[in-house]
Amino acid sequence: MSLLRVEGLRARYGQVEALSGVSFEVAEGEIVALLGSNGAGKTTTLRTVTGLQRARSGRVEFAGRDVTRLPAHRIVAAGLGHVPEGRRVFPALTVAENLLLGGYLRRRDRAAVAARRAEVYAMFPQLAERPGQPAGLLSGGEQQMLAIGRALMLRPRLLALDEPTMGLAPQTAQRVLRAVREIREQGTTVLIVEQNAHQTLRLADRAYVLETGRIVLSGPASELAEDDRVKAAYLGGDPAVDPAP
Amino acid sequence: MSDFVQYLVNGLTIGAFLALIALGYSMIYGVVRLINFAHGDVFMIGAFAGFGVLTTLGATGGMALPAVLAAVAAGALATGVLGAGVARAAYLPLLASPRLAMLIAAIGVSLALEEGVKVLTHARFKSYPNALDGGQVMSGAVRVTYGQLALVLLAVALMAGLWLFVTRTVTGTAMRALAMDRDAARLQGIDVERLVLATFFAGSLLAGAAGVMYGLYYTQISFGMGFLIGLRAFTAAVLGGIGNLPGTMAAGVCIGLVQSFSAGYVSSRWTDVIIFGLLIAVLALRPTGLFGERVVERA
Amino acid sequence: MKTLRRPDATALARHAGWPLLLLAALAAGQVLDDYAVTVAGTILIYAILGLGINIVVGYAGLLDLGFAAFFAIGAYTSGLLMLKLHWGFWATLPVAVLAAAASGVVIGYPTLRLRSDYLAIVTLGFGEIIRITVVNLDVTGGPNGLTGIPPVTVGGREIVTPPDFFYLALAFFAAVLVLTGLLARTRLAYAWRAVRADDRAAEAVGVPTRRVKLLAYVLGAAVGSVAGPLNAAQLGTVDPSSFTFLTSLMILLVVIIGGMGSRPGVVVGAVVVVALPEALRTVQEYRGLFFALLLVLIVLVRPQGVWPARPRRFARPAAAGPEPAPPAAGGGVLEVEGLTRRFGGVTAVEDLSLRAGAGEVVSVIGPNGAGKTTAFNCVTGMIAPDAGTVRVAGRRVHGLAPHRVAAAGLARTFQNIRLFEELTVAENVLVGRFARDRSLLRPPSRADAAAVRRCLEFTGLAEAADRPAGGLPYGDRRRLEIARALAAEPRALLLDEPAAGANPTEKRALMDLIGRVRARGVAVVLIEHDVALVMSVSTRVVVLDRGRAIAAGPPAEIRADDRVIAAYIGVPDDPDAGLQAEVLR
Repeated sequence: MSLLRVEGLRARYGQVEALSGVSFEVAEGEIVALLGSNGAGKTTTLRTVTGLQRARSGRVEFAGRDVTRLPAHRIVAAGLGHVPEGRRVFPALTVAENLLLGGYLRRRDRAAVAARRAEVYAMFPQLAERPGQPAGLLSGGEQQMLAIGRALMLRPRLLALDEPTMGLAPQTAQRVLRAVREIREQGTTVLIVEQNAHQTLRLADRAYVLETGRIVLSGPASELAEDDRVKAAYLGGDPAVDPAP
Repeated sequence: MSDFVQYLVNGLTIGAFLALIALGYSMIYGVVRLINFAHGDVFMIGAFAGFGVLTTLGATGGMALPAVLAAVAAGALATGVLGAGVARAAYLPLLASPRLAMLIAAIGVSLALEEGVKVLTHARFKSYPNALDGGQVMSGAVRVTYGQLALVLLAVALMAGLWLFVTRTVTGTAMRALAMDRDAARLQGIDVERLVLATFFAGSLLAGAAGVMYGLYYTQISFGMGFLIGLRAFTAAVLGGIGNLPGTMAAGVCIGLVQSFSAGYVSSRWTDVIIFGLLIAVLALRPTGLFGERVVERA
Repeated sequence: MKTLRRPDATALARHAGWPLLLLAALAAGQVLDDYAVTVAGTILIYAILGLGINIVVGYAGLLDLGFAAFFAIGAYTSGLLMLKLHWGFWATLPVAVLAAAASGVVIGYPTLRLRSDYLAIVTLGFGEIIRITVVNLDVTGGPNGLTGIPPVTVGGREIVTPPDFFYLALAFFAAVLVLTGLLARTRLAYAWRAVRADDRAAEAVGVPTRRVKLLAYVLGAAVGSVAGPLNAAQLGTVDPSSFTFLTSLMILLVVIIGGMGSRPGVVVGAVVVVALPEALRTVQEYRGLFFALLLVLIVLVRPQGVWPARPRRFARPAAAGPEPAPPAAGGGVLEVEGLTRRFGGVTAVEDLSLRAGAGEVVSVIGPNGAGKTTAFNCVTGMIAPDAGTVRVAGRRVHGLAPHRVAAAGLARTFQNIRLFEELTVAENVLVGRFARDRSLLRPPSRADAAAVRRCLEFTGLAEAADRPAGGLPYGDRRRLEIARALAAEPRALLLDEPAAGANPTEKRALMDLIGRVRARGVAVVLIEHDVALVMSVSTRVVVLDRGRAIAAGPPAEIRADDRVIAAYIGVPDDPDAGLQAEVLR
């Protein structure tokens, strides 16, 4: 049974329809990628799934439960973590405070939060070195790690990542993606949104390609990486090849 | 010289009250970007609530400390609930509307509170029972009463309490986070609406406490008292750099001193011209206030 | 010039509504009793104040909580001149208006840089300063104000009876109505609406936003101040207690109840604000409370007001007119040298150089966050670079305000599409004309209309001209941004991810459009992620990575460059290589 099932999701961005019926699913233990160019609706999809934005129609089912109309904080509580586009760490709060808020829902159990924070520090040693530094002064890569670590504080069943390598140097991007792999090995299912298909297809088990608010392609990541249309549109191929199906 | 010291003492006392009110403006603006026009009237309601408790307890004369503390607590609690209730009824529904809509709702609430109390009190002044100790810490040319000292200490204690709450507790940290990034806060499982109400509760609580303390100090209260004090406190919040709590407290004390010295050396008739003139001048030169804002605006 | 307007009921209301209303008012002056006529006169005074604040709050979207100050300044200036210098009413009128306009500058200027919320407190403070000052000064009569102001004389006849005064107020109202009606047709009115919708975007496409905002204060104050002398003449006194914060609030309510930006709404609002309290006289005590609750209720139930604005639409011209001569070709149109910008410790753009000549397409590619948009913002003056020079056709533009950069011939679009949502498609393009022609106090010219038409046809949006921009589908929104940028006949056009979110058909249309733009001799600079598109339209490609240009050259060269592949494009032919190997290349 799939952990996350999205059916016929429609949503607006401003006054414009950004999603016109998006359907996909993520099974327990998978890494699933959602690919597409800027403005194709990837971020809107994630925001609608995690309740930051209201769906106009369609259905989102998480762990067998209909969560379509739930507010974001209840969806987080249900075990769906979301690392938003642009990292969105709390810039004036310290690293430790950012992580503390990641565990907000368990705030009554201080010991558990502290223990989990130690685990996150173990995963990202760079963060452990500067717990008292304001997050806004971290480098881009460190901010991304903090954002991921913050979302891991509640041990989500599924972690949704929105462009985690955006603007990062290659080595840093690599480290972030390695962390994503590690997260899956620790038992968390991953839904990753990326614009640059190449590295993502290497990482993911399956992928969906989003174009103007619809899923236009889907399949095992290894097959999509070989698909001429994907190559043309997202991997820098020949413009004469029409990427449309 | 002794005049100067006396003005200084008075200014610090008024400044402590103003800082308490200004903190509420600053906190509330931080989380919902609303200039809560009704905040001054919440302060006024606090004064009346405290008045009700004191007259019921019948505390007069001498250091009726338990009665005074009960009045402050009751006034603060009543306004905390009022502030959160008003926010729930009139502001939260407008959270997604243009910001002007919420501001106008706040102006309406302000008027409604003022007019409501005006009707209930038949537009009359009320005189606070004289519950403060008249004994003097210093007498002679410069006068400082024990009551005055107690009020200032209480105000400082409340501010310190707020400071500890905001910086040391998870909920307080969440409030600061909310001011920075509402969506990211939601993604941490924070119930944003509830936390907004909690912020209104805390901010209104301080204003209510300040209201009771003002009543004890000046002994006369009326339905219209919140307007000007509210404006002065808001001026302090802006000068301090809105969202910047230490800056707000410092600016509150500054405005208190300006008020006291301008009343002493110029004339109290010109106090507000000086305060608002200062506000316009400072904002023209430093659009983010004297001490800088701590509000993150995303492009 | 022919305009397209259907003769339907709304058009009838638009043309016949005001004359009918004025006629009805004339008749009412004959039948109402003295009390009702006095109330009606007060309604007209508030309607005049409402038309004034409507310019500030309704058109320009600047909150004003101290508008009573201008009312007071008008009343005191006129009253003092009549009492102390024995001027006649009519002689004092222009002086009163001038005094208010000058104070509009005083309050407007320091607040231009302020956030909208702070405007509220600053205008409120200004209102209080004026009120307290007139109460405290001896020359203004202190708390007693001015008394014994002589009545107005019109053609030798003294205006003393309520009906006479009502007709005088009606004449004033009609004059202000005509004036604000003329104002609503000017380019300035479109600039105000653009500033209200998105002032940064307005500035970027060439609207001098500071001047436009200042004019809102000045003209609003001037219009509203007319009510002051009128009120003084009606009462024979100027009473400082009639210029309190509550008065400012009542004036603001006039536009909020009626609907901001709506002149018919102002009349509705004035009637409600003045007549309702009169109707509630029997419950005097609860009047304020009732009024306050009504205010909250209106905001909660109808945030748009009871008569929402239907602003005058810019009519689409029938003919496009001749093409303008393309700008002289040759040489570097856009030259960027050594551009650097840091944020805190992070260098977003480092020593970037870029040249684009007439008819060239230069593309800037690079991963998200590589500094492309920051570079654009530095070039267009939206953020100040720490170092470097920017020239447009040989002229230095770095350090200039964005609207001046736009006027120098540099137009741009935005990555996240910033249209003026409530304006129509044609009006959006019209606002783009400000980079070409900054004049404000006249209606859009024939050249404006022709250019709008031409740009709409050029981008294929002519059919959608009269639709609100906010309702356009995604692809059309992108094209509208380009049309708005082209309206100024720029020398260089900067496009920030114009293909984002486009499907293949739309992408092909965009490539065609870019080709036609460059054919007109415009230098095009393109930020884009779609490598295929970039490679096929560009003359040259610059690759940015972490703020630095790591490669530059013709598309074929770039495509083969190892560093570029490693940093950005990836290695399409090497699917078996491990993640690590690929990234480390």
